[in-house]
Amino acid sequence: MATATVERSNKIKLTSSRIVFNIISYVFITLLAALCVLPFVMLISGSFSSEQAIRFNGYSILPQEFTTEAYGVIFKSPEKVLRAYGVTIFITAVGTILGLFLLTMTAYVISRQDFKYRNKISFFFYFTTLFNGGMISTYIFYIQYLHLKDNFLALILPGIMNVFYLLIMRSFVNTVPTALIESAKIDGAGEFRIFVQIVLPLLKSGLATIGLFMALGYWNDWYNAMLYMNTETKFPLQYMLYNMLQKQQALAAIASQVGIKVENLPSNSLKLAMAVVATGPIILFYPFVQKYFVKGITIGSVKG
Amino acid sequence: MKKSVRIVSLLLALAMAVSVFAACGDKTSSSSSKKEETSSKASTASEGSEASEGSTAEGGSDLDTSKEVELVMYVVSDRPAKQDDIDANFNKLFKEKLNCTLKVNWIGWAEYPNKYPLLFSSGEKFDMAYTATWLNYSSLAQKGAFKSLDEMWPKYAPKNFERQSESALQQATVDGHYYCIPTLLATYSAYGPIYRTDILEGTDWNGKMENFADLEAYLGAVKAAAPEMEPYNVYQSGSEVDNMYVQAEEGYFFTKGVDFLFFDPSAENPKFMTWYEYDGAMDFLNMMKRWNDNGYFTKSALSDTDSQKVQTGKAACTIHNIDTYESRAIDKPEWNFKFANFVQDVSNLPFTQDALVISNTAENPERALALYDLITSDEDAYRAFYYGIEGTSYEIVDNQVKSLDSDNYAFSACWAARTSEFNLPSYGSPEDVKTWKDSFDKHIEEKGGEGSQKYQAFVIDTSNIETEFAACKNVVQQYWWPLELAYVDLESGLADFQSKMEAAGVEKVREELQKQLDEFIASTK
Amino acid sequence: MKKHGFVYEFKKNKALFFMVAPTVLLVLVMSYLPMSGLVLAFKNYRFDLGVFGSEWNGLENFRYLFQSGAGWLITRNTILYNLLNLITSQGLAIVVAVIISELTGRIFKKITQSVIFLPYFISWVIVGTFVFNIFNYETGVLNNIITAFGGEKVNVYSMPGVWPWIICIFNAWKWVGYNSIIYIAAITSIDAECYEAADIDGANVFQKIWYITFPSIRPTIITMLLLQVGRILRGDFEMFYQIVGNNGQLYDATDVIDTYVFRSLLTNSNFGMTAAATFYQSVLCFIIIMVVNQIVKKVEADYALF
Repeated sequence: MATATVERSNKIKLTSSRIVFNIISYVFITLLAALCVLPFVMLISGSFSSEQAIRFNGYSILPQEFTTEAYGVIFKSPEKVLRAYGVTIFITAVGTILGLFLLTMTAYVISRQDFKYRNKISFFFYFTTLFNGGMISTYIFYIQYLHLKDNFLALILPGIMNVFYLLIMRSFVNTVPTALIESAKIDGAGEFRIFVQIVLPLLKSGLATIGLFMALGYWNDWYNAMLYMNTETKFPLQYMLYNMLQKQQALAAIASQVGIKVENLPSNSLKLAMAVVATGPIILFYPFVQKYFVKGITIGSVKG
Repeated sequence: MKKSVRIVSLLLALAMAVSVFAACGDKTSSSSSKKEETSSKASTASEGSEASEGSTAEGGSDLDTSKEVELVMYVVSDRPAKQDDIDANFNKLFKEKLNCTLKVNWIGWAEYPNKYPLLFSSGEKFDMAYTATWLNYSSLAQKGAFKSLDEMWPKYAPKNFERQSESALQQATVDGHYYCIPTLLATYSAYGPIYRTDILEGTDWNGKMENFADLEAYLGAVKAAAPEMEPYNVYQSGSEVDNMYVQAEEGYFFTKGVDFLFFDPSAENPKFMTWYEYDGAMDFLNMMKRWNDNGYFTKSALSDTDSQKVQTGKAACTIHNIDTYESRAIDKPEWNFKFANFVQDVSNLPFTQDALVISNTAENPERALALYDLITSDEDAYRAFYYGIEGTSYEIVDNQVKSLDSDNYAFSACWAARTSEFNLPSYGSPEDVKTWKDSFDKHIEEKGGEGSQKYQAFVIDTSNIETEFAACKNVVQQYWWPLELAYVDLESGLADFQSKMEAAGVEKVREELQKQLDEFIASTK
Repeated sequence: MKKHGFVYEFKKNKALFFMVAPTVLLVLVMSYLPMSGLVLAFKNYRFDLGVFGSEWNGLENFRYLFQSGAGWLITRNTILYNLLNLITSQGLAIVVAVIISELTGRIFKKITQSVIFLPYFISWVIVGTFVFNIFNYETGVLNNIITAFGGEKVNVYSMPGVWPWIICIFNAWKWVGYNSIIYIAAITSIDAECYEAADIDGANVFQKIWYITFPSIRPTIITMLLLQVGRILRGDFEMFYQIVGNNGQLYDATDVIDTYVFRSLLTNSNFGMTAAATFYQSVLCFIIIMVVNQIVKKVEADYALF
C-alpha cells in the first residue's frame, strides 16, 4: 500500500495546470504555515523571557533577557510534575485505547444499513449533545451514586463517548464497501470478527484521526479533574498547571479584599512555560500518528 | 420527525423516573432544614441576642464534650505543603480544651468558582466553612445554603457573640435569621490613591494629595517625568474612580453589592439615585475625559488583563483601600508608596465580607461553634490556628508578624477568624497604616453611629428582583464602564446609558431597594 | 415489505446489539440519568431544599435573558458567529486538506501539516494576550506599524464592526490544523485506483479535485456541517471572553449567550438561571437540527445524522 502514493506521484506529468496549481499551493501553504509557527515560536521564546520584559515589550521572536525562571517555578518540585505526567499519560492511554475501540465498534453498528435501529441509536447518542443535566445534578449523581470521587474512572468514562467523534467515525466507516461485509458474512464470519478483521484494518486513517482527537481531549482535560479529583497525587498535568496559574490570578484578585500578602510569581512567562510543558510531549507524539495520513489506500488489494 | 419526538419524550420520561430515586438523596437534608426553620422562627434575631446576655459566662457549660469528635472545616486556598504540622499543633490544643480535632479541607484556587457552591448542594457532610463577599455569601444565604444560627450562636459561641457589634449582627441577618458569624476584624471604607513618590523625586511636584485636583496634578507630573509609564492603573475590571468621586465630593454612600445606586447618608430620608441623576456627573466625566485625552491611562484598558501593573512598575498609581497600600508598601519599599484617603465619611465595612458559616449537613454544629469561639477569643488558640507554629511557620518581631518558610507554610485561609485584638500587622508594614486606621476609628467614634456607619448595617435582599438586578449590572458594565473612562461621547453616552438602564428595569430595582431602605430606617428609629 | 418487531430484529442482529450495548449503557448511566437536573431550569433552586425539593417557578428563570431586549441580540450574535465560523473554518480546512493531499513534496507536506496543527495548542488565554499585543492603542504592533509609515494611530478597541472578522480569523487559524486532519483522513481513504484511472483519461489536477476528491469527501463535509449546525446556539465562551474581555464597547458586536450569562450570574450563585440559559440553547439547537436533518434526509438519506 505504501508504494501506491509514491508511484502515483512519480507518474504525474508537469502539465501547465499542475504548475499553476503547485505555485498557488506552495505559496498559500507556506504563508499559512508561517502564520501558525510564528506565534508558537513567540510563545516558546516568551517562556524564556523575563517577566518584566514581557510585560513592558510584549512578545518577540527571540527571548528577551533570557531566563529559565518560569520553568524553575513549574519544576520547583520535579517529582510532582513527573507524577502528574504519569497520571496524564495513564489516563490518556487507557481512555484512548478503550474509547477508540468502543467508539469505533458503535460507529460500525450504526453505519450498518441492515441494522434497523441504527438511526434510533444514533439519535439516542446525539441527544446527549443537545441536552445535559447541568453541573450540579451531574456532580451529585457521579459523587453520590456512582462514587466517582477521587476515582480515575471519573476522568476516563466521560471522554469515551464523544458523539461528535462517533459520527465522524461513522462517516469513515461508511466508506467501507458493503460488498466486503456481505461476502465475509457469506463466508460464515461472525459480526465481531468482521468488525475486527475486515473493517478495522480499512479504517487506519480514521482511527488515527479520532485516536489523536481523543488523546488530545484526555491530555488537555482539567475540568473533570477539577470537579472529581481530591488527592494531589492523582492530579493530571493540565490540572496541576491550571491550579498553579489560577492561584496566582485568584490571589491577586482577592488579596486586597482579605488583606493578605501575595508573592509575585512571573505569571505571564509562567503561562507560556506551562503551555510548552503541557503540549511538548503530545507534539512529539504527533509524527507517529501522521504516517497514517499520507498513505493512499487501495481497496482493491484487500478485495483480492 | 414524529418518531424522534416520541423518542425524546420517552427519554425525558426516563430521566424523570430516575429523578424519583435521586430525590431520596436530597430528602434527609431538606426535611431537617425545614425543622430547623420552624424551630428558629420562634425566636427572632433581636430576642436571641437579649437572651444570650445573661447566660454568656456559663454558656460553654451546656456543651457536652464527653465524646471526641472530628470537625471538618472548608476554606478556599491551596493547601500548604506542610499543613499537617500545623494541624497537629493546633489539634493538641483543641483536643485538650474541647475534646475535638479539626480537619481543614482546602478548595483550591482553580476549583473554587465551581466547587464552592457545589459544596452546599452535594449533601457532603462537613461542619463549617469560610465565606466572603467574593464567594457570593449573600446570594447563597438568601438561597438557604447555610444553617440558621439564631439559638446556637449565642449559646455555644457566647464570647464571640458578645463582641459582635450591633451593625455586625444586623449584617449577619437574612430573612430574620443569622446565617453567618461575621469577622471581628474591623476594615474601613476608606479609599484613595496609592501612589509612588520615587518617580517624582527631584521634580517640582508639590507633594500634595488631598483631592482630585492634587491627583490630577500628580498624574500630569508622572506623565511628564516618566512618559513610558501609565500614570493611573486601569485594567479590564474597570475604573475605581467613579465611586470614590461621589464619596469624596459629596459624601455619598454605596451599599455593599450595588455599585450603580447611591444615596446621601446625611439626609433625613435618603433616596437612591444613579449616575444620570447626579448633578456632578458631567463634571466627573469631563475630568475623566481630560485624563483620557492626556494619556493618564491606557485607551485599551477594558481589554487589558494585566492586573499587576502597579506591582511591576508599569503604572504609577492605583485607587484602592489601605490594605492594598500596606501590601504594596511591604512589597516595594524602595518605591516609596503613599496613600491618601479621599472618602469623606469613613465607616467600617460590613463585617460579613469575611465570615464563617455552619453547614446544613453539620453533625456537630455545637462543638464547631464552641471551637470557633475558642479560636476567636483565646490568643494562644488563635495563633496556633491562624499563624501556625511559632518559630517554625511564623515569628513576631516588633509586634509585627513575619511569615517563615513560605514554601511550606502559610497563614490560615480562614481569614474570617481574625479579630481586631489579635490581628498583628505584617512585617515591614509602613508606620502610617496605624495612623490612618486610628484616624478612621476616631472619625467613626465622633460620628456616633450616624452617617455612613449607620447604613453599613443595611443589607439588601435582591431575591425579588434578581432578573432586573442582573440586567442592570450588565448594562453598567456594557455602557457605564466605557463612559466613565470617556471612551465614548459623554453627552450621548450618558443618555444612552440612561435609556438602557431604564429598559433593564432600574426603576423596579430602585423601588424595591428604596422600600427596603425605608424599612431599615424605620427599624432603627 | 413486511414489518418486523423488535424481537425479530434482535434475533437477526444479536451480535450487533451486543456490540453496541456497552456504549449505550455507558451513555445511559453517565448522561441520561443525571439529565433529571434539567428540571432546575424551572425551579427556584434553594440549597436547603435540593434539586427536587425546590419550588417550581415557571419561566421566571428565563426572564433575565430577555430583560431589556438582550435575548434577541445575543441569540442573533451567537447564530451569526457560528455560521461565519462554520463557513470560514471548515472552508479553510477543506482547502488546506485538498491542497496538502495533492502536494508531492513529502517532507514539505509532513512539516506543514504538523506546523498548522500548532495553533490548536495555544489556549485562548494566550491568544487573548496576543490579540491585545497586536491591537492595543499605545504599544500595539498594529499601531507601531501604522506610525512607522507615518499614519495616524487607530483605536481598534472602540471599533465594534471589525471584531467579528478578527474573531473569525483567529478561530479559523486556531482550528485549521485540527479540522483539516479529518478531511485529510477522508481523502486518504479514497481508492487510489480512481486517480489512476483519471490519469489515464488525461484529467488535469483541477478536474481530479473537482470530480474525484470533492464528491468522495462530501459525506464527511456534510457530517461536519451538520455537527456544527447542531451546536449553532452555543458560543465558545473562552474564545469570546479572552479576546474581548470586559470591553462593553464591543458587546453589541461580540456578545453571545454564554458570555452574557457568565456576566449576569457572576455575583449570583443561581443554578436555576444557569440551567435556564442552557435549556434555552438546547431547545433551539434541537429544533434547528431536527429541521435541518429532516431536510437532508429528504434530499440524501445516507447523509443524515440520525
